[in-house]
Parts: sequence; C-alpha cells; structure tokens
Amino acid sequence: MKKTTILDLVSRKLAPFMLLFGLYLLSYGHLSPGGGFQGGVVIASGVILLFVAQGVGSTISLFPFRALSLVEGGAFLLLVAAGLAGLAAGAGFLGNPMAGVNVRMVPRASMILVYNVLIGLKVGAGISFMCMYLFREDR
Amino acid sequence: MIWALICLIFLVGLWGVTRKANMVKKVMGLSIANSGIILLFVHYGSLSGATAPIEGSGRPMVDPLPQALMLTAIVVGVCVMALALVLVYRLYLRFGTLDMHRVELGAWKLHD
Amino acid sequence: MRGGRVTAVLEVAVLVLVALFLLLALQGDHPESSELRGYLIENGSRETGALNLVTAIYLGYRAFDTLGETMVLLLAVTGVIYFASFRKGGEDEEDHHT
Repeated sequence: MKKTTILDLVSRKLAPFMLLFGLYLLSYGHLSPGGGFQGGVVIASGVILLFVAQGVGSTISLFPFRALSLVEGGAFLLLVAAGLAGLAAGAGFLGNPMAGVNVRMVPRASMILVYNVLIGLKVGAGISFMCMYLFREDR
Repeated sequence: MIWALICLIFLVGLWGVTRKANMVKKVMGLSIANSGIILLFVHYGSLSGATAPIEGSGRPMVDPLPQALMLTAIVVGVCVMALALVLVYRLYLRFGTLDMHRVELGAWKLHD
Repeated sequence: MRGGRVTAVLEVAVLVLVALFLLLALQGDHPESSELRGYLIENGSRETGALNLVTAIYLGYRAFDTLGETMVLLLAVTGVIYFASFRKGGEDEEDHHT
C-alpha cells in the first residue's frame, strides 16, 4: 500500500500525545473525568493509530508482542497483589486503606491511583495486543 | 423527544442483527444496539443534574451510578465484539463467505 | 422464496412491536433524585477517597466488579489470540478427516 506523507507525518506526531493524554487520564482518574478504562482505551487508540498508519511491521519493534503480553498478564497479577495489600492493611480485598486517614501530604486516593494505573496499563496493553494480532500480515 | 432517538438507534441495531445476511453487519448491529442502551442509561442518569459527578463544583451533579454501570457495559461490549468478529473471521476462512445463509448451507453439506 | 417473504414480514412486525413497546415503556416520569444518589453524593468521596464519584463507585464500592471486568478482558484477548492463530493449512486436514 502506498503511504502518503500527510498520514505518515500526522500519525507519527499525534501518537505520542495520545499516549501522554491516556497516561494523564489514568493518573488523574480520581480527581477529574477519566479513569483506568478510559485512559487505557486512549493509550490503545494511540498504539492502534500507529499500527494503522505505519503498518504493524515497523511498529512491532516499538511495542513487541512479548512486552505487551507481559504488561497484560503482569498488570493483572499486580492488581490482585495490590488488592491483597489493601486486605493486609485492614480495608478489605481491593479496598482503600487511606480513605479514612487524614494525614497531610498523603493523598487519600493513593490506593485508587494504584488501581487506576494498573487497570489502565492492562486495558491498553490488552486492546492493542488484540488489534495487533488481528492486523498482522504474515498469515 | 430523546426517547424516540434512543429507540431509533436501538431499533437500527436490532434491524441489523435480524435482517442483514452479512455477518459483519450483524456484529455491527449488535454494537449499535449496545450503544443505544448505553445512551439510554446515561440519559436516565443525566436527568437530575448538569455537571460531571465530581465533588467540589457545588452545582447539581448527574447521577454517577448509571455512568459507572455503563463503564462495565462498554468494556463487556468491546470484548463481545472482538470475539464475535474473530469467530466471523474463522467462519470466513472455513466457508469462504460472509453470508449467513451460505454458511448454513455449507454447514449442512459438511454434516451430510 | 415465498417463505422468506413471510418471515421478513414477521420480523418487521416484531420490530414494530418492539418499537411501540419501547416508546411506551421509556416515556413517562422518572425519579429525579433517589436515595442512593443522595447517599453517594454525601458520603462517596469520604468513604472511598476519590473525588470523582464514578471512580468512587467502580474502584470503591464495586471493586470486585472491576476485577471481574479485567478478567473478562483478559479472557477476550486469550480467545481472540486462540481463534486468530489457526492457519489455513490445519483446516484442510480436518476436511480430510470428515
């Protein structure tokens, strides 16, 4: 397929900002509109933009199969581990032990931030992994 | 007025699922019906306020519960659509067509 | 093709019935404020620690649901990889078999 300059240039310049915006959404999900799933989907859409515009072959070195599957599985295990940490801290499985604490400099939503980041990474890696598998050309 | 629009979106999806022979269009119809239901719930929630459900604004907020439920629905809808599309792809590899009736004929032929 | 036309008419009739049912069921008055909404707005942020009430619901009150949702996504990714990784060559063998 023939590549046009405008598609090439715009996708290359836009994708980093989409990834950045996704990270912003998932790290400020407890304060502003956004959250783990939304941020993860925005991250995945940035990766998919690269796949569609640049081709899977040239993008796969940036997001290798192995790394994406590791993030997908590892973030899930870390999510369960964080839930167990909440249980150990006395707030129940997947609870937020900081919710009732009123200490300066310690945000009350710190555990929610951890869950949001883990879920966002997992969703972003999962959806881009799925699309990469479907966009592959070597079959 | 907006009820009619949501009904229309849902019915377009239902029509695509029931009346189209192309399986990819069936999956698209499923997705459109899903969007209609999501719109319905978010609209229900938005009747009671005007700002996003974040504390500190002081103005009346929309109901956060339907939005949180629809988050689940959206994610599950994406998963269902991905699996359905992959199954359609497998059927295409097997029978060489996306037409529902031809796939049925091919399946009967395989059975005999 | 006559049977096909009859089923088409039946399906369109069912669609029209569903449309009428939806129009009748969806209009009418709905509760503007519920007890649950008041509780969430009053206590949601204090009990879970998140200012965003949607986050307070899906990571605070309903965190198990979110865990299950991520499992659903994991299973969907697994299924897509399983179904998309068959090759055409493997199918022909199956055809010989049947």
